[in-house]
Amino acid sequence: MHAMILAFESPGDFARRQDKAQYKAYMEGWYAYGGSLEKAGVLKSGGALLGPETATVISLKDGKRVVEDGPFTDSKEQLGGFFIIEVGSIDEAAKWAKSCPAAKEGRVDVRAVPDDYPIGGE
Amino acid sequence: MRYMFLIYDDEDEWDAKPDAEKMAVIGEHMAYSDALRKVDAYVAGAPLEHSRVGRRIIGERIDNGPFADSKEQLGGYYMIEADNLDAALDWAARCPAASYGRIEVRPLWNIEG
Repeated sequence: MHAMILAFESPGDFARRQDKAQYKAYMEGWYAYGGSLEKAGVLKSGGALLGPETATVISLKDGKRVVEDGPFTDSKEQLGGFFIIEVGSIDEAAKWAKSCPAAKEGRVDVRAVPDDYPIGGE
Repeated sequence: MRYMFLIYDDEDEWDAKPDAEKMAVIGEHMAYSDALRKVDAYVAGAPLEHSRVGRRIIGERIDNGPFADSKEQLGGYYMIEADNLDAALDWAARCPAASYGRIEVRPLWNIEG
């Protein structure tokens, strides 16, 4: 099965991205994690997002656009990146998520991606 | 520039839809994906199974879904290529999910070095 690992990072983690002294250690954590997924042969794809301050939320109400600045949720932890992995079960995916750097100060959600769907893919 | 569309919608509302209506929405997403592909704007995308089959990890703790934080949960995503945020928002407004949910649009972080 495919699973999506969603890394919700803490404000501290987002701050580390901008901090010259901490940037390298921050990035090394992510490279090591991505490397471990790759080495195990489970990594399919992934990506990193710019901070929550760059977020815009859009929807249509009665056909008209409703645009709001900021992320969808007002929680402290915000999505900073994701990985798509291929594993045997959602619990195996959760095991991988546990070593994700965001789990330490933020949180990591694991969601199943349906395999037999007519939409999606790369 | 790449943008991610994070689709948030109400899982219970989706479950309550008759099958024909679900199929119609899926068809709309197929047409939308095709429209993106036609202009080489499509990068990736996937729907997600409901959060009740998900897991949430905080520190050493692993919780089973569903997640109680919000009625609306991440239901899927698209990644697209667009010239700028305005162009990305135009695409997001055309996404079928804009009518039944809300879409968080976020630029991808192009990491260098």
